[in-house]
Amino acid sequence: MIRIKSNQSFFTVSRHDRNLFLLLLPTAVVVVGLLLITFLLISSRASEAVKTYGLSLYVTSAWDPERERYGLFVPLAGTLVTSAIAALTALLLSLSLSIVVSEFLRGAVRNFLSTIIEFMSGLPTVIYALWGVQYAAPVIRDYVMLPLHKYLGFIPLFACEPLSGYSVLSAGLVIGISIVPYVTSLICESYMLVPTAYREACLGIGATRYETTKILLGLCRPAVIAAVVLGLARAMGETTIAAALVGNSMTISYCVFMPSYTVSALIAAQYGNAQLYMYAESVLYSAALAILILALVLSLTGLTLLSKWRSKVLA
Amino acid sequence: MHRIRVIKDRLFTFYVVITSALALIPSLHLISVIILRGVEVLSEAGIKFLVDLPPTPLSTQVGGIAPSLLGTFMLTAIALPTTTLIAIFAAVMNNEFPNNPISRILDVTLRSFASIPTIVVSMTVYLLVVIPMGGYSAIASSIALAIIALPYAYTIISAALGQVPHTYREAAYALGMSRWMMIYKVIIPIARRMLAGGILITMARIMGETAALIFTAGRFRTGLTLSPNQPVDAIPLLIFDYALTPYPVMHKVAWGAALILLLIYLITFLSLKVLVKEVKL
Amino acid sequence: MNKVGYAVELNDVYVRINRSEVIRGITIKVPLNTIYVIMGPSGSGKTTILRLISRLIDLIPDVEVTGSISVLGMDALRSDPYVLRRYVGMVFQTPNPFPHMSIYDNVAIAARINGVANNRDELDRIVRWALERAMLWDEVKGRLNDYPHTLSGGQRQRLCLARALAMKPKILLLDEPTASIDPVNARKIEEVIKSLRDEITVIMVTHSPHQAARVGDYIALIYSGTIVEEGRVKDIFLNPKSEFTVKFLRGEV
Repeated sequence: MIRIKSNQSFFTVSRHDRNLFLLLLPTAVVVVGLLLITFLLISSRASEAVKTYGLSLYVTSAWDPERERYGLFVPLAGTLVTSAIAALTALLLSLSLSIVVSEFLRGAVRNFLSTIIEFMSGLPTVIYALWGVQYAAPVIRDYVMLPLHKYLGFIPLFACEPLSGYSVLSAGLVIGISIVPYVTSLICESYMLVPTAYREACLGIGATRYETTKILLGLCRPAVIAAVVLGLARAMGETTIAAALVGNSMTISYCVFMPSYTVSALIAAQYGNAQLYMYAESVLYSAALAILILALVLSLTGLTLLSKWRSKVLA
Repeated sequence: MHRIRVIKDRLFTFYVVITSALALIPSLHLISVIILRGVEVLSEAGIKFLVDLPPTPLSTQVGGIAPSLLGTFMLTAIALPTTTLIAIFAAVMNNEFPNNPISRILDVTLRSFASIPTIVVSMTVYLLVVIPMGGYSAIASSIALAIIALPYAYTIISAALGQVPHTYREAAYALGMSRWMMIYKVIIPIARRMLAGGILITMARIMGETAALIFTAGRFRTGLTLSPNQPVDAIPLLIFDYALTPYPVMHKVAWGAALILLLIYLITFLSLKVLVKEVKL
Repeated sequence: MNKVGYAVELNDVYVRINRSEVIRGITIKVPLNTIYVIMGPSGSGKTTILRLISRLIDLIPDVEVTGSISVLGMDALRSDPYVLRRYVGMVFQTPNPFPHMSIYDNVAIAARINGVANNRDELDRIVRWALERAMLWDEVKGRLNDYPHTLSGGQRQRLCLARALAMKPKILLLDEPTASIDPVNARKIEEVIKSLRDEITVIMVTHSPHQAARVGDYIALIYSGTIVEEGRVKDIFLNPKSEFTVKFLRGEV
């Protein structure tokens, strides 16, 4: 009597298979090793700063390498604010775009628009940075910030006088625009997965397009949330646009017109000189560690949400 | 009652169309501006834009981006095969031994790689490669680029291999083919279009990446070099640096370079579309 | 190699896929160089038996097999599947010639990887031989470099037959080979199968009793994972012992 399960571990399977597996194993070792090394390296470089400055590193703000005074609150908060603005912008714009592509268009026109969106999703972000500096920032200041300040200046968000176009708002808006294709394709993909039975049911009860969309989109809610979370993770890692538009100033306030910092902008600006000082490098690494963990957590959350929703829908 | 529903529907349509336009118009403006400003610069500089060195901040000539152009191609030539090879091995492992715990760990790891901020990759490679080598180099830059492009290459190559119909696997096995032979002689050739598409997408990613180069490339713009262990430059990095300077002539160079980058990306994208009907990212 | 004369022996085999029993206690002995037909209604487990013999069952996750399976004297469950499959050729229900290879290459690769032919001349000869045996040569001899998609369904299936034959297998498994083929081509394929008697052991799965009668030497009737009746073709058709067999032969199942 022989009992063999076909999905046993590879040791009992043909030696051809085993040899192939062993041949492929180094790849796995290299890749996983690389991730571990990245983590360990960043953590160990960051530990010096954390040991010296303790938790105050994360709740105070300063960048004074000469006197070795550091505080990362501004770049951390700036990253969160900028990413939040970006994610919100992307949500508003992408949702509409997804609806237009999925509900309003058919055939060749839809394919064309899809292709355009696909094209834009691969555009190098540095192009957005260049455009942002030369065109978007002044336009945002003149046509968005100044009017908002004039008419809605009593709201703390818009209370300060916008001087230059460089602020968390500008950075957030342009980053948001740059991630619209990504978020749109995520939402569209999920929207397409909703079984046609629901759509037919909506048609059957005589729902208007608005009502149909509301229902179908409601079914997609976890997927849309996942798309926003993933967009947030993307926005956090964005470097070139942030470095160009956020203003590079160690200040933050409730007013979104103020220039500020993001972690990646800080690193991009200060890492070059950091070697000259004692703790500057380590402080930057602790900032990098913070956004690394944050981005990973957000990504895994978003991906898990998405896959859970997908398996529920496809069942 | 019915009228209210119709009004809501009309308002909804109006809102959605307006916001969609808002979603697209900035990017379309961006592209038109690059074309307009870029053509302006290129017509001023002519073909020499591709072969000259960049100008000094106060010069009147626009010069060219030859070092960055060469650098971009060199870095791509090193990084693309590297990342593709690793991605293929990883994808094969994931497709052939899906139940094995090592495969699953590999899969999760590669998907996590996609979420690492690119500047962090730059810092890591700086520590691992630039410092031991004693300076910036094309090798360091290529390694950073390969790491960043890896999750993209892996995802799409995995998908390409996975969508080969199961029946061809069975036919291959029934003929007595070993697993490796089946992969090499049946799966990969059948999937070749989508694989080529994946490679093109990866290439576009590599050519457009900036942050990875900030601490690994060295920004060598005063001459042409093909040496892998010397500082190098790339087009996106040049655009980034020059966009942030206050000098108008540098801005011009940045626009010209942006147009070149856009054209390269466009050609890559069109080739991709010719090869594959639809590629999911 | 087995001296008793059985090409394939299944002894009290149970197969469980995803926890549900697909094959319950089957014992089959297939004599060498005969045409053995496995017949039964859909879902009775016929294809699973074929997959056991060629070890293609490995491709299904979550499978449990108990019992003993002997193929050409080798313990099928304990042998290296890649070695086993060299002796066993298979033709599938839906024709699956490799779309990226020419007609010539489709047949040639079978010969090459099994060491049947090693140089260009030998390959040419065996490709021609295989295509002639599969009754396809006349139709494709002028366009061996064309691709399979230019062939009709029936021609594609004959190409798959040629490909399997080019392996020079000792056992040929056929999984409802004419199920998706038009009647003219189906007859041709049946002719080819009959011509293989005495050269190769053929095990064919079908759900058509008529086809079984036309082609087979032995029949095993399977229902719901167990053998209902088994024996020579004449005996089964003229002297069916089971009520179910009678119903099946009349087409009432």
